[in-house]
Amino acid sequence: MSRRFHARQISFGTLMLAAILFAPPALLGRAATAESVRMTQVSAAAPAHSSRDSRIVVDETGRRVAVPADVRRIVSLAPNLTETIYALGAESRLAGDTDYCDVPPDARAKPHVGSPTSPSLEAIVGLKPDLVLASTSINRRETVDALEHLGVAVYSTDPHTIDGLLAGIEHLAGILGIAQQGNELVTSLQARLATIQTALAGQPHCRVLFVVWDDPLISIGPHTFIADALRRAGAESVVETTQDWPHVSLESIVHFQPDYLIFAGDHGDEIPQLSDLRARPVWRDLNAVKQGNVALMSGEVDRPSPGLIDAIENLAKQLHPSAFAHSAGSAR
Amino acid sequence: MNAHSTPVENAPRGGNPAAPASDVRLTVEQASYAYSVTDRGAPKFALGPVTFEARRREIVAILGPNASGKSTLLKLLAGLCKPLSGFVRVGDKEPSQLDPRERAQRIALVQQESALIFPLRVWEYVLQGRYPYGRRLRFESDEDCLMAENALSQVSASELRDRWMEQLSGGEKQRVILARALAQQPSLLLLDEPTQHLDIGGKVELLRRLRRLVDENRYTVVVVTHELNLAAEFSDRIVLLHRGKCEITGTPREVYHRDILEEVFNAPLDVEIRPGGKPRVLLRDANGRGERAE
Amino acid sequence: MQPMTPRRIAGVCAILGGALFVAMVVSLRLGAYPMSVTSVVTTLYHGAIGQMDRIPSDFRLVIFGIRLPRIAMGIVVGASLAVAGAGFQSLLRNPLADPYVLGVSTGAALGAIISLIVAPHVPLAMQIAAFAGAAATIAAVYFLGRRGGQLDSATLLLAGIISASFLSAVIMFLMTTLSGRDLRGMAFWLMGDLATPPQISISFLFVVMIAAVGAIYTTASDLNLILTGEQEARHLGVNVARVKIVVYLSASLLTGLAVSVSGAIGYVGLLVPHVMRMMFGSDYRVLIPASAFGGAIAIVLADTLARTVVAPTELPVGAMTAIVGAPVFIYLLRRRVR
Repeated sequence: MSRRFHARQISFGTLMLAAILFAPPALLGRAATAESVRMTQVSAAAPAHSSRDSRIVVDETGRRVAVPADVRRIVSLAPNLTETIYALGAESRLAGDTDYCDVPPDARAKPHVGSPTSPSLEAIVGLKPDLVLASTSINRRETVDALEHLGVAVYSTDPHTIDGLLAGIEHLAGILGIAQQGNELVTSLQARLATIQTALAGQPHCRVLFVVWDDPLISIGPHTFIADALRRAGAESVVETTQDWPHVSLESIVHFQPDYLIFAGDHGDEIPQLSDLRARPVWRDLNAVKQGNVALMSGEVDRPSPGLIDAIENLAKQLHPSAFAHSAGSAR
Repeated sequence: MNAHSTPVENAPRGGNPAAPASDVRLTVEQASYAYSVTDRGAPKFALGPVTFEARRREIVAILGPNASGKSTLLKLLAGLCKPLSGFVRVGDKEPSQLDPRERAQRIALVQQESALIFPLRVWEYVLQGRYPYGRRLRFESDEDCLMAENALSQVSASELRDRWMEQLSGGEKQRVILARALAQQPSLLLLDEPTQHLDIGGKVELLRRLRRLVDENRYTVVVVTHELNLAAEFSDRIVLLHRGKCEITGTPREVYHRDILEEVFNAPLDVEIRPGGKPRVLLRDANGRGERAE
Repeated sequence: MQPMTPRRIAGVCAILGGALFVAMVVSLRLGAYPMSVTSVVTTLYHGAIGQMDRIPSDFRLVIFGIRLPRIAMGIVVGASLAVAGAGFQSLLRNPLADPYVLGVSTGAALGAIISLIVAPHVPLAMQIAAFAGAAATIAAVYFLGRRGGQLDSATLLLAGIISASFLSAVIMFLMTTLSGRDLRGMAFWLMGDLATPPQISISFLFVVMIAAVGAIYTTASDLNLILTGEQEARHLGVNVARVKIVVYLSASLLTGLAVSVSGAIGYVGLLVPHVMRMMFGSDYRVLIPASAFGGAIAIVLADTLARTVVAPTELPVGAMTAIVGAPVFIYLLRRRVR
């Protein structure tokens, strides 16, 4: 073939290439223009709704969320929020949760949408939620962004303190239309906290090291809710840092010599026993290990949820047994 | 070996002013070059000035010991560097002034080849020689294919056309590389020590082939080589370099004199003239009698 | 003797385009939300002719909101990485060269992370910083990979591996010390993730990708010659310096684009050009478009696997490419040794 035809054939090839590669975004372009109209509304809602009214609330991360007046189907993306839903008695409205939601055990039976950090957007959408709950303690911002982009209403909590946690629970209850249950729950939790405060009045705080992970050694920073929980339980972390989850060297622990070592986990987790610690070099020379001052908290402490209060009580009793010896009757 | 019809054999040193100007393909006139390792230092190496001519149907051999400037001279001929003084002309143009594509249409340079990393067929390789004759993103035309076929047949390698390059023997590869150079349709063919990795049979075959190409297809060939006797046997002119200076140019008969060769190569050498007029270089033994150089 | 013709290239593109289309349909069909092929096709059809209202909102959301954007992203990322790999392999004269092995992907990731720290909400900052990171890394590896003034294969690979590990260490350092910031997580950057759509429009990414691939394509004939040796190519009239600049910059741009959008995904740039070479030959005039299509197909399929194998949990796509890629790579290595 002579050179005259080359240009034609080259352009033909280029057009085909471009056509095939451009097909998806072309389709997307149409879809996007159609979707943009419905962007802020809860488009994945189930068909028959009594009212399509929605109001704008501001969630704990400062986002504006359009929440329908009647929230019937909830998907929780965080174990602590699942627990909170159950504590509020709203579990019948929980349409789905994550693989990791196992407190209370009933939560395992709910349809799953994947892991909290990497859930399946399709599965979430497929459950047709009116509202999705997320927590900055475990969910990624990209997930929330992506869901918003799809027109799904996502309410994010951002717990840093116990007070914030309780206020958040009340606010959430209000959004779900069960303000009264929320109020009752929070009041009772606050009462229990107050009891602990009274019992601990006058006691000096215990100097503790909270071990998130023992190898590498990771502890907590002062602005986490765990730190706040410790303070309520009459403990103070020896680690001074600006990070939330600092890697700490064993050396500095030897330098600080905390009174207590605190580990947290559920029966499934591998927590070093006192006998293990006594066998480990450096660990066994810590005062706390020598004196057997190792406290164990339930995995609840990792979750900003009502169960956290149980954990606080439990820890307070371990750290300050004398303070609770005579107030056993009024504890619960 | 047939005698040429050109009067070169009896020409005085430096070229024949009586030859028609259109016959001269390559002119090197007082060309010199120098480079230094650092910018400010004294020139580490200097070449020249060199003067010689090459005509159509001629093979010129550039000889000399190591580090005498042979490769530098070849670079000047190829237009890879510009002479500091004098000039080099191929046809009527100076190669260093040419655009690389134009240069590649006139001059083909064959050096030590690099290893191929991906499999390539012989015809694909030879077809690459047509690159200078097209636009940047090009597709080979029928004419290109014809030229490539032609080049392969000139080196008697047509049957190798569909083989993979990596499966070729040393001699076959040498022919294919030559074919790619010929596909450029050059007027000047430059070869940098092409016989290095070949055995004696391969060396002779290559030089015979070059001779045949030059005679039948009217190329002009300049070969850089170490092979004194093969150069004498197959080439028309010799350019003898020594430490960057051009010692002498002329026919092999004129250049191969015992005292010149001994001084340049620093070896006990003897020259004998064979029947037919071509010189042969021999290693002299202690008794002064000649032994074959190879 | 059958020289390359535009018709042959168009033919290869048609075949691969068809394969990509099939991969797209498969990917659209599979997912945590069950949909039949009929639903997929009708949804696409209604969408294509502009009747979006006739599609149930769920289908619309899943197909146009979730799966198609993901597939589109996969196409961009796969095509970019494969073409970048093909370019590096020719210029560096090394069949093992690819953005991941040479540390260029990691450099791009570091650039993107730094831009997230320094200028988190500036549009396009991530893409530009990723491009800068990629370009700086390839420049460093190129100069480190020389031995006696010449590019040496083994030294080059070593330089790449060392750069990659050094840059990953820097990334981990930043992630650990700056734990308060939202830097998207190590798993994302070092293993790749297509789950979340990028902040910039996918159409823009497509345009940039096609432009960069086109730029490399203009040097396709030159790359064929450079494959036989840089000096030889120069003697044939190739402007090797210009080709190097165009290809290195374009390949860095492609790598930066892909990494800024989906993190560092390995093996695609390495294996796709090899497989395409085995199928269609080493001629870059067909290899470049073939690699683009091949890379797109590879990532679309890998991502489909990543989100269906243990649904609804999603695996990182880089894990999939590594799991499939490593055995394929070993197989290819053994074939060459034979």
